[in-house]
Amino acid sequence: MKLRTDLTSRAARVAYLAEALGGLFRGPAEPAPAPGGRRAALARLAAFDPRDYARTRNDVVRRGVSALSPYIRHGVLGLAEVRDYLLARFGRGPGVEKFVNELGWRAFWQLVYASLGSRVHEPIEPRKLPTTAEPPVREVPDDVVAAATGLACIDESLGELYRDGYMHNHARMWVAAYLQHWRRVDWRAGARLFYRHLLDGDPASNSLSWQWVGGTFSHKPYFFNRQNVERFSGGAFCRRCPAAGGACPFDASYEQLAQRLFGVPLEVLEQGPRR
Amino acid sequence: MGLARTLMRTIVWLHGDSLSPADPALVANPGAPAIFVFDEGFLARVGLSFKRLFFLYECALEAIEGRDGEIHRGDVVAEVWAFAVARGATAVHVTASVAPGFRSRLDALRARMPVVVHEPQPLVAWRGAAPRRFSAFWRTAEPEALRPTGAGPAELRDEGGDG
Repeated sequence: MKLRTDLTSRAARVAYLAEALGGLFRGPAEPAPAPGGRRAALARLAAFDPRDYARTRNDVVRRGVSALSPYIRHGVLGLAEVRDYLLARFGRGPGVEKFVNELGWRAFWQLVYASLGSRVHEPIEPRKLPTTAEPPVREVPDDVVAAATGLACIDESLGELYRDGYMHNHARMWVAAYLQHWRRVDWRAGARLFYRHLLDGDPASNSLSWQWVGGTFSHKPYFFNRQNVERFSGGAFCRRCPAAGGACPFDASYEQLAQRLFGVPLEVLEQGPRR
Repeated sequence: MGLARTLMRTIVWLHGDSLSPADPALVANPGAPAIFVFDEGFLARVGLSFKRLFFLYECALEAIEGRDGEIHRGDVVAEVWAFAVARGATAVHVTASVAPGFRSRLDALRARMPVVVHEPQPLVAWRGAAPRRFSAFWRTAEPEALRPTGAGPAELRDEGGDG
């Protein structure tokens, strides 16, 4: 079936596509704020100043990130041309080099995908420190799907995912760790949820990052604590979080959380599996 | 249109990893008809959000702008092949992707007509399998990754170097 290509306004295109692709999507027929297309991608690239990237990229609220990922994922912009442009314009420096390192992650995930194919969607290595014989929870729990866990850092990040088709990378790590380590959800269910919504959702980057957090594609699992959330959100999430008063499951030291989540001292976790 | 051009009619197949007017297969075939297909079977199975599909639609619209371009919904191989036949094309041009779904569709299309695959410019040239960890990859790749090969997108070149 041939689709129309003559509509010019975004509203008309939305209304048309919702009908033309009926049955092929789940959820409301609402577009993300980010426009698709090369012109929008180039405008973002031209507006991106990476010189402070190394220092600001992890801050979920202030955001020194480029927001180029949806365009790079779909081949609207190439990795090499982005690198070339930024080096020509800003020269080398800690910020540009860190950003190119992140482009390197994308290149790496693609290499792994070329090698493993669909196997990226299954655990690549054994879990490093299984703490329970119980099988993981197979589906994402309803309160997480509804972005109603009562934890501001998690709910607001999920809200952004559903609304904008985007989530800051550091917030992705929090949500992925929360689902896997605190809620014991099978990473594949979490990865499917992200993939359905992220404009930059890529089979390899997404599944492999979930495995990196879980420790089936790294030497140890990734987890975080409240201090990390406070630091990288300027305290914003915790200030408005209903659980901040005492019910925050992240409010502990890394030593305490290593014991609580994985049943081992932090040093053991940091060393990775015995060789 | 020269004789060679009429004899070697091509179309360009755009997919989810190549939705750009700067796509290598498109750039290599100026003026050639192009098609993007919303993969009905795949999309019905995974249930993406509308946001994702609309983003693809906007990208595809801009990629085919100024060409004889179409966007379809259906079976990718069947739609691309039918589009090629309708345009009297004798070959399909496409940009490579590492996705296993791309490989299987490419094989199915090749069973019906010649397909020319274009490689996108990589961040670094890499031969062989991926190392087990990013750190091992980056130790080798970093010097090349930080070596520019040009000034970036032609569309932005006037602005280059003013930072």
